[in-house]
Amino acid sequence: MFRSSMMAPQMSPQEEQEKMLDEALGIVKTQAFQMKRSLDGGKLMDGLKNASTMLGELRTSLLSPKSYYELYMAITDELRHLELHLYDEFQKGRKVTDLYELVQYAGNIVPRLYLLITVGLVYIKTNSCLKRDLLRDLVEMCRGVQHPLRGLFLRNYLLQVTRNILPDNPEGPEESEGTVRDAVDFVLMNFAEMNKLWVRMQHQGHSRDKERREREREELKILVGTNLVRLSQLENVNLELYKKLVLPGILEQVVSCRDAIAQEYLMECIIQVFPDEFHLQTLNAFLESCAQLQPGVNVKNVIISLVDRLATFSQRNESSGGIPNDVKLFDIFSEQVASVIQSREDMPPEDMVSLEVSLVNLAHKCYADRVDYVDKVLGCTLNIFEKLNVERVSYESAVSRELMRLMKIPLDQYNNIMTVLKLQQYAPLLEYFDYRGRKSLAAYVITNILENDTLIPTPEQVDTVLTMVASLITDQPDQPHEEEDPEDFAEEQGLVGRLIHHLKSDVPDQQYLILSAARKHLGAGGNRRIKFTLPPIVFQAYQLAYKYKALKDQDDMWEKKCQKIFKFCHQTISALMKAELAELPLRLFLQGALAVGRIQFEDYETVAYEFISQAFSIYEDEISDSKAQLAAMTLMVGTFEQLACLSEENAEPVRTQCTLAASKLLKKPDQCRGVATCCHLFWSGKSITGEERHDGKRVLDCLKKGVRIANQCMDSSIQVQLFVELLNHYLYFYEKGNDQVTVQMLNHLVSKIHEELPNLETNEETEQISKHFSNTLEHLRNRMESPEADGVSYEGLVL
Amino acid sequence: MPYQSLFGFGQSADIDIVLDGVESRKSADIKTEEGKKERHLLYYDGETVSGKVNVTLKKPGSKLEHQGIKIEFIGQIDLFYDRGNHHEFTSLVKDLARPGELMQNTAYSFEFQNVEKPFESYTGSNVRLRYFLRVTIIRRISDIVKELDIVVHTLSSYPDANNSIKMEVGIEDCLHIEFEYNKSKYHLKDVIVGKIYFLLVRIKIKHMEIAIIKRETTGSGPNSYLENETIAKYEIMDGAPVKGESIPIRVFLAGYDLTPTMRDINKKFSVRYYLNLVLMDDEDRRYFKQQEITLWRKGEKARKVGGAMAQSPTMNMPTHLVSGDHSRREVNVESDADIGNAPGVENMKREIDSPTGVSNSEATVDTSPTVQSPLEGNPPLMSD
Repeated sequence: MFRSSMMAPQMSPQEEQEKMLDEALGIVKTQAFQMKRSLDGGKLMDGLKNASTMLGELRTSLLSPKSYYELYMAITDELRHLELHLYDEFQKGRKVTDLYELVQYAGNIVPRLYLLITVGLVYIKTNSCLKRDLLRDLVEMCRGVQHPLRGLFLRNYLLQVTRNILPDNPEGPEESEGTVRDAVDFVLMNFAEMNKLWVRMQHQGHSRDKERREREREELKILVGTNLVRLSQLENVNLELYKKLVLPGILEQVVSCRDAIAQEYLMECIIQVFPDEFHLQTLNAFLESCAQLQPGVNVKNVIISLVDRLATFSQRNESSGGIPNDVKLFDIFSEQVASVIQSREDMPPEDMVSLEVSLVNLAHKCYADRVDYVDKVLGCTLNIFEKLNVERVSYESAVSRELMRLMKIPLDQYNNIMTVLKLQQYAPLLEYFDYRGRKSLAAYVITNILENDTLIPTPEQVDTVLTMVASLITDQPDQPHEEEDPEDFAEEQGLVGRLIHHLKSDVPDQQYLILSAARKHLGAGGNRRIKFTLPPIVFQAYQLAYKYKALKDQDDMWEKKCQKIFKFCHQTISALMKAELAELPLRLFLQGALAVGRIQFEDYETVAYEFISQAFSIYEDEISDSKAQLAAMTLMVGTFEQLACLSEENAEPVRTQCTLAASKLLKKPDQCRGVATCCHLFWSGKSITGEERHDGKRVLDCLKKGVRIANQCMDSSIQVQLFVELLNHYLYFYEKGNDQVTVQMLNHLVSKIHEELPNLETNEETEQISKHFSNTLEHLRNRMESPEADGVSYEGLVL
Repeated sequence: MPYQSLFGFGQSADIDIVLDGVESRKSADIKTEEGKKERHLLYYDGETVSGKVNVTLKKPGSKLEHQGIKIEFIGQIDLFYDRGNHHEFTSLVKDLARPGELMQNTAYSFEFQNVEKPFESYTGSNVRLRYFLRVTIIRRISDIVKELDIVVHTLSSYPDANNSIKMEVGIEDCLHIEFEYNKSKYHLKDVIVGKIYFLLVRIKIKHMEIAIIKRETTGSGPNSYLENETIAKYEIMDGAPVKGESIPIRVFLAGYDLTPTMRDINKKFSVRYYLNLVLMDDEDRRYFKQQEITLWRKGEKARKVGGAMAQSPTMNMPTHLVSGDHSRREVNVESDADIGNAPGVENMKREIDSPTGVSNSEATVDTSPTVQSPLEGNPPLMSD
């Protein structure tokens, strides 16, 4: 007792539902059993009474839709027995006079109508002449149940049991059996009534239960939608009938019910259940209705869904011609979308744009070659923004998201920026994005170009493309003040750099114009950007010069043009210098000098010298960090070693300058290494004829200078390291056949290292040094044991 | 001899009235005062009532002295609250035998030719109208009397004028409906077809039903009595409709225990019928509108059972199906306020208290809370 009194108040709503449902199902079971017994015993009236009592359970208001559905299923299952029994009796000729009237004495309407439907069905099945009139009677009488849940299920029962007996004959002379038109009338009426009931659920009960109600409605929507499915299953509903009767009937109900949930679901239903061939011929009617839907309806989704279906249809039937010619699919959609947008003042701008997105999709899928269609849509979008007085579309906003989708479609679909450039409205529309939006789209544009390896072959197009991606090229008026994340920035600018390699024409003169045009855009990018964007321009220009050289037989002017190119490069590199960059212009000048050296156009030596001297002055004036100085020095030595374009008159000062500069480095180890590197200038450095210099004495001078400097080092660890390095330099030149380098010199160094090495502290550094040293000795040992055929002699070498 | 009679030792006789055509004539049920059903032969106005009276002596061989034997045909109205008085409206007498002696069992023929039977037999709550034959063997001390009831049905022909009943009713700013019954006069096996059209709904309606109410009034002046009885309750709508809904009505009358409407029968009583349209709201308040209908008895055609009709495909054709042009009426839905104030609108009544509460003279008395119908209560109609 204690337990039960504790339990009762704690029953959850769900448990209560289960309990009530169980009780109801219990009664159904009992009554169904008695009904069957009565029927088997020939007591029809008793059987009907049991059926009526059983059906009385459906009068409840206490069950949730889910529980009510279970109860409904159980009961209608039992009703099948009654139906079959009556059908058998009728078949055997044991007709019960006035049975249809008899069941109407049931005092309560819900059981009465279930019985009436069941009996009516038996009448129809045994005498199809009654079909039309009885269907009409049943669907009318069901009006008596106005309670939404009970009414929906009652009418669902009507719809279910009649599904195989709806008249589906072509229209013709009046027949009592009825034609497809009668079936359409029947289902349409049932549909209208069910929809009204369904909509009404929304307005019943307390407003705090709104969420629950909407959930329940969601659970029940399929009952309403089944009507449309039934209509679509009628074989004799042809296009004409659909156009004249079916669709207008449905749409009238959908529009007039003024309920957003219903409208959205039913419009979607129409799209899904009827064939595309019908949709194609009824677009105007359908879309006009879209314009009349409630503000809460996501018309966008409806239209998009239709577009998607038709687009798929078009593609599926491509072989059979796709969209019929007489259907101006795009024009219709275009107009109707415009009017939907106009008629729905409260439509959020993002939805308008997203409608345009669907239009573009349609244009693309059904009319792939009609770029003008896409352009038209973009133009419409522009108009929308103008009308709404939109100035900027903020990146975080939904409009921006939709607009981004819209703008990306042509890129993704064409995968060719050249086709996108044909869209006159593309660039103006792009301007509506705010800074972040423009930047994001610009990056997308460039990525698209890169991924598809699209080349942009004219200066005009280059101009357009770079304007399009201006947000990545130059500072923007609406740019935020705070600095961007350096990594992101570098990545973006890296994209731009890569883009430059796609600004390319096969015609050299054209290519020059392209580079000039690009240079103009990129040059305005500011110090932060140009270090990413100008170097590719310079390299492209060098490439172009090589090209002129290759085509020199076809172009008399090639030398002049090359001069012009290098002047262009000089200017461009100078711009980088002005941006207070040092290493980068240095490298570019050196690279330029190399290019000049290889191309050898008229008066090239002057140009090369200028480039070299520019590099030197950068080295001297701009590079102050000692490590950077050494690195630059190494680069310069490497370049000059390669360079074969200077007459002795110019070459000597360069070499001397290098050596001098090396010896002037601040730190002793740097001096030592710099000087040692300079040796190569005197050995493998080229003359104007391309021969190596092989000036053994000067080499040795440098090496000796290196040893001298190394001796001055205080840090014994570094000193030994330098000795090992120097040993390697000596060895190199010895092996190259420099007769100024002797075995004694090697011996001297080796013994010196042997002497110093054990004094070093034991640490990682020392270990590296001794490893380097032992590797060197190992090398020498190899050479001594198995000398190369024409190699130098290592006689007298003491390891 | 007189002593014998006095103490019951004398001769006595059984009287048996046998009506002509007892085998072939139809019979009909009628309730007794106690509510028991009885079955009697059925006569119509103007029909001859004839037959035989058999007098059987209880003591064969002994004579029965009498002052004459007569048979009466009586139509009378009994008011239950006035047991002493019988109000005869018809009384015909035939002498079967002059005063004398009966020596043996004797049979007498009688015939009341083309008797007028102006009213229908009726047993109500407070009144009874009956026809009967009474044979009296008149004797000095105690007469021997035998009565035999017959049932009389009054037939009517189709009414000349039978307009539909159409009315707008409502409660201002709450509820406004228009109802239509297809006729004002229904025969007893007729079907009420109609519809309710909702013009304004601002109350939460739970359901709607039609009740058939029988109102019996007896007497007059201070001695008048009124009795309402709900013959049938028939749910015609479940749930709450909204403005613009039209709800069909179809009520088959044959299953209910009805009589023709009787108006001022011999200045003693009336029986009238009303259709009560009742709407019940969420809080079980009832709104109703009563409308009198006239019930009449239609002469039964000789219906051929079986035979040619049975072969016809339409034999099982249900009757009174909705015609299908139940189309929505054009209603200016915006102007319901105007309709509420329209002059031609009658007020509905509202019961103030519980559903069974009686607030005014027109209120119904719910004698049976559950609806009696063939499928839920006693077996139906199908008496013949």
